[in-house]
Amino acid sequence: MLRADVPAALVTALGRDGADAYDVVDRLPRGPAREAAWNTYALQTYADKLVGAGRRAGFVRADTALYAKSVYALVAGWLERAHAGAGGTATLPRWSSGMHSAAQLAGMREALMALRTYVAFDLASRAAQPELEARLAEIDACIDRVDGLWIERPPAELRGGIAGTLTGGLEQVYELGRILALGP
Amino acid sequence: MIHTARVGLFRPARTVTGPTGDYWEIYVSKTALPGWKEGQAGGNLSYDGGYGCAGFALFELPFMLLSFLWANIVVPLGRILFLLPIAVVRGRRSRAVRIEAVTDYPHRQVLLWTTTDGYAPHVLDEIVAGLAAGKIVQPTGCIYSGQED
Repeated sequence: MLRADVPAALVTALGRDGADAYDVVDRLPRGPAREAAWNTYALQTYADKLVGAGRRAGFVRADTALYAKSVYALVAGWLERAHAGAGGTATLPRWSSGMHSAAQLAGMREALMALRTYVAFDLASRAAQPELEARLAEIDACIDRVDGLWIERPPAELRGGIAGTLTGGLEQVYELGRILALGP
Repeated sequence: MIHTARVGLFRPARTVTGPTGDYWEIYVSKTALPGWKEGQAGGNLSYDGGYGCAGFALFELPFMLLSFLWANIVVPLGRILFLLPIAVVRGRRSRAVRIEAVTDYPHRQVLLWTTTDGYAPHVLDEIVAGLAAGKIVQPTGCIYSGQED
């Protein structure tokens, strides 16, 4: 354990306020309220996956904990907007550290997979829309690229490339989910 | 024009001549060699232009020479001898592969791609084909880091 690590229980407690995020998005009709609910869902998923993947012997690295805290902090606001029927576009906080750890990359990848599964299921429940299906194919291509480079103990160059691809994939899946939440 | 040779840490896997005559050597390795980092030799001649100090400056000269050798040869060499085995062991345990394209004309350039052992042959082929056509390509299955320092 590093001295800068934070007890995982402390970080997961921060995410409890947004636990509703997983249900609210499915309860609301498509429109601005659902868009806000999708924001809460995406942010809560991202933070939960980061904390889950970063947990080591009951502790989470300080930079992961700080980042998760800043993401959890956004969830409550978007939940309020969802209940008020107000939409909007969420912006992910920036990472303070330049280089991602293997655990952070794993968390980002798990978040991308989870959000991809959600949007793919949502997309399948609607009439075929080639433009949106093409967006999903781009997300799948991102996941394939990451999987191809996913090795144990990746050097800094690979970690940087994987982080960039995952960030791009997360932005794309978030945007697709937003379109689906707003759409007819 | 592309030439293929046996792969080795100090031997290029391929050599390529681009359409403008630029000559590239392509190295494939699993080891990131530690760089040659020179230290700082301490002290300058204390000669201030006065005749009385010239003798003292001559006295300092051997020490400055030793300091120069220490900072520019001994320390960097010691650093490399210490780090090289670590780099080799780390490289052998990793599935990451470094592909470096090196040219010395018109000025020295080292380009770096990082890939995995599964993608390496395909990535190498694409890089070589690109350089032969005068292009720096970014094939799928690798990360292009650009020019190395």
